Amino acid sequence: MQGITYLVAAYAIVWAGLFAYLGVVMLRIRGVRTELAAVTELMREQQEKNT
Amino acid sequence: MALAKRETRVERRDASAKEGSQAKRLPVISMVLLALTFAGMMISIWMVFIYAPTDAIEGDAQRIFYFHLPSAIIGMLAFAIVAVGGVVYLWKKDERWDWAARAAAEVGAVFLTFALITGSIWGRTTWGTWWTWDARLTTTLILWFIYIGYLMLRSYMGRSEAGARAGAVLAIIGLIDVPIIYESVNWWRTLHPQAVLPIGSSPQLPPEMLLTLLVAFVTFTLLFSLLLMQLYQLEKMQTLAQRLRASVEV
Repeated sequence: MQGITYLVAAYAIVWAGLFAYLGVVMLRIRGVRTELAAVTELMREQQEKNT
Repeated sequence: MALAKRETRVERRDASAKEGSQAKRLPVISMVLLALTFAGMMISIWMVFIYAPTDAIEGDAQRIFYFHLPSAIIGMLAFAIVAVGGVVYLWKKDERWDWAARAAAEVGAVFLTFALITGSIWGRTTWGTWWTWDARLTTTLILWFIYIGYLMLRSYMGRSEAGARAGAVLAIIGLIDVPIIYESVNWWRTLHPQAVLPIGSSPQLPPEMLLTLLVAFVTFTLLFSLLLMQLYQLEKMQTLAQRLRASVEV
């Protein structure tokens, strides 16, 4: 019975950790995409001013 | 002059169209990998909990093995990717190899952390202790510290050429630990069991257990590939954003 508790604990930790990590990676990707869009827009504005 | 300007615009449009098509193609590959990983996980869970027989000595706790072993193997192999990425970067000076190395280091550290945690829980049930300074465990912990050191070094030195070079050197030196981990159970008397999938000889597992392990291993490899691709793209975008930011600030 104790073996099952440890088994469930091990799998729960792996699954929770995995989903948390996937969430963090997705948030980081979204953050960089937003930053890229903002910087690209800023560059376009700067180029338009120069021309 | 006008012709040159028009040509530059056309080239730029072509380049952005190429990048766009690549960006469109990538999510399709990611989605396929995600679907395969999800299906693999479902099959693995069914096989681990229902299909695989219960171990006569260790009981249900032995089922931890099906996630522990693939995590550990991928955690070690990922470091080989970090080192290969470092070597090729030093040789060709192509930053794409550095992005791959950095991405592999992060995902590899995550998988090795899972291996250490699941191993510790499994150890508690079979050895009666969460941790022991056994050769296999100690050398794996050293690899984990090398991963953490690598990630800290790269974070501290930023996206510079010097950072990439230092990271590559650390990865090449750190790779020495991987074969030591593999051979540790043969070189020293340890609590950790011998390799169940020894290179060059037949596996020491019943067929159902072996099949479950192989399915779990394929699933973890798919998951690793998916995460590696996402992090590679992240590295690429972060480098691009940093360069654009620098050009705007100038």
